[in-house]
Amino acid sequence: MIPDINFSDINFFDYALYKTTMNGEVHNVTLGALLKFVLVLALSVIAARIITIYLRRSLQDKVSKDVLEAVIKLLYYGTLGVVFISILPLIGLDPSGLLLAGGVAGIVIGFASQNIVGNLVSGFFLMIERPIKIGDQVEVNGISGYVSDIRIISTLVRTYDGLLVRIPNEQVFTTNITNLVGHPVRRFEYTVGIRYSDDADAAIWIIKDLIDKEPFALQSPSPSVFVNELGDSSVNIVVRVWAPVSEWFGLKTRLLWNIKKTLEENGIEVPFPQRVLHFETGAKKGQKVIEEMKEAEEIENVLNHEERTLY
Amino acid sequence: MYGYHELPFSVEQEGISISMERVGERWVYRRTFGSDEVEKLVLGNDKSLIINPVEPLNTPKEITPNLLIEFEKTLLLGAGEKQQIFLTFPVEIGIFISEKANKNLEILDVLSLVKQKFTLYGEVSNGVVCKYWKSRVYTSPPSLNPLEEGVMELTLRNTSSEWVKISKAVFNAYGMKLYYDGDVFMKARMDILNKNSAETGFELMPPEGGRKGALLKDKRARKEAFGIYGLRKLGLVPLKFYMGWGL
Repeated sequence: MIPDINFSDINFFDYALYKTTMNGEVHNVTLGALLKFVLVLALSVIAARIITIYLRRSLQDKVSKDVLEAVIKLLYYGTLGVVFISILPLIGLDPSGLLLAGGVAGIVIGFASQNIVGNLVSGFFLMIERPIKIGDQVEVNGISGYVSDIRIISTLVRTYDGLLVRIPNEQVFTTNITNLVGHPVRRFEYTVGIRYSDDADAAIWIIKDLIDKEPFALQSPSPSVFVNELGDSSVNIVVRVWAPVSEWFGLKTRLLWNIKKTLEENGIEVPFPQRVLHFETGAKKGQKVIEEMKEAEEIENVLNHEERTLY
Repeated sequence: MYGYHELPFSVEQEGISISMERVGERWVYRRTFGSDEVEKLVLGNDKSLIINPVEPLNTPKEITPNLLIEFEKTLLLGAGEKQQIFLTFPVEIGIFISEKANKNLEILDVLSLVKQKFTLYGEVSNGVVCKYWKSRVYTSPPSLNPLEEGVMELTLRNTSSEWVKISKAVFNAYGMKLYYDGDVFMKARMDILNKNSAETGFELMPPEGGRKGALLKDKRARKEAFGIYGLRKLGLVPLKFYMGWGL
C-alpha cells in the first residue's frame, strides 16, 4: 500500500540539512536558510556590481582612473566581505568562531597557498605604495607597455604591439619597475653631425629656432644645443629637449626629421663617414710617387688617423 | 568676430575664415586659418553660433589646465603691500554651437593666432606642466588685438612680513572667467604667502569700468565669455592654484 501523502503539507524549506553548534546551542540549518544565504549573497553581488557601475559612470570624468578603480574594488570586495560575514549564521557558522579559527586556518592556508597569498599581499602593497597606476607606461621584468589593470593577484599590461600580459603581483612588487610616465616631463637627446666646412654656430641657431617653434618642447627646463665633439667625419652637435611625457615620443620623432630637413635647406649637411686622399700629380714625379707609395704602404699600418696622405 | 551670430553666417578676419552654411538638411561648419582647415556637419534646425574668447589652454592640444605667465621684469613688493598690475595673456577663439530652444552649448572649434609654448613649473619629479606666456608688466591696461591677446588685471597682495620678488604667476583654468567687448579681460588675484609660495585665483564678478582712454567703453559692461572648462560639469575641482615652487 502506498501511503496517501499530501505534498502540500510538506514544507521543504524547513527540511534540516545538518546541525551545528553556535554559542553552545544546537542549530538546525534548513534548506530554506541555505537558499536564503545563497539568495542574499547573489543579491549583494548584483547590488555591489550595480553600485560600482553607477560609480564608474558618474565619477569617470571627475576622478582619475587609477584612484577610481582602487576605490571601486575596495567598495566591491568590502561590501561582499561584510555581507558574507553577516549572513554566515544562516548556514550555521559563527563569525566570531571563524575569526578565532582564522589564525589557525590562516597558517594552514598560508602554507598551502604561499604563491597566492604572496601575490595577494604584494597586490595590497602595490595599491598602497602605487609605484604604477592604471594607464601608466611601464617596463616590468622586460615587459613594456601600458598598465591596463592592477588586480588583487596580478597586474595586466598591454604591450605596445597589443598583447595582454598578466604579471603576478609578487613579481611586479619584487622586481625593478621603470615607470616611463612617473614624472610629468621627460628628456630626449640627439647627436646631429655636420661637416667641418659648415658653420656650427648657424646650425645651432637653426636647431634652437626649430625647438622654439615646437609648442611641446618645454621652455623650462630649457633645451640645450651645443658642439659636443669634433668627430672623425663630422662636428657633433648634441640636442637635448624636455617635453611633457604625453607628448615626448611624438615630439622626438617629429623634431629630428625637421632638423635634418631644415639644416639641408640652409646648406648644412649631415656628412657620411669619409676619408680624404690627396694625390700629387706630375709626370716627373711618377717614379718617385711609386716609390713613396710603396713606402707609404709600409707605414700604413702605423697610421691610424683620419687623413692619410699619398705622395 | 566675437558675439552671437544667427545662421547662416560667415566672417573673414585676421586670416581666419569661418562659415556656417545650410547644405540640404544640415549645417556645414568650415574654418580655415593658414593651412589648417576644419569642416564639421551639424544636424538639425534652430541653431546659432557663438564666438568668444576661451581659456588659452586648448590648443594645440589640451594637456594641462594651468597657465604660467612669466613677467618680463621681476617685481619687488614690500611686506603687507597690495598693488594692481596689468598683464597680457594669450587668447584662444572658441566657436560654440547653440540650440536656440534650450541654450544648450557645445564646443565646435578652437583656434589660436599666437605662438604656443609649454613649460614646467616646479621640479622634474613633481612639478606641473603649464601653458607658457611671457608678458610685460603694465600699470594701465594696454591696447591689444583681442583675437590674439587679452588683458589681465592682477591684484598682488603680500601677506608676508618681508619683501618678495615675483617673476611669474600660475593660474588654474577651472576658475578662469573671461569677459569681452572690444577687448578681452580677466581679473585675477595673487596672495603671496611667503618668499616662495602664493595662491592665485580669479575674480568671478565682471570688472567695473574698463580701459583707460576709452571713456565710452568704460560705461559698458563686458559680456561674460563661455568657457570650455566652464562647460564641464565637474565636481570638486580646485579653482585656486597654490604656487609652492617659487614666485
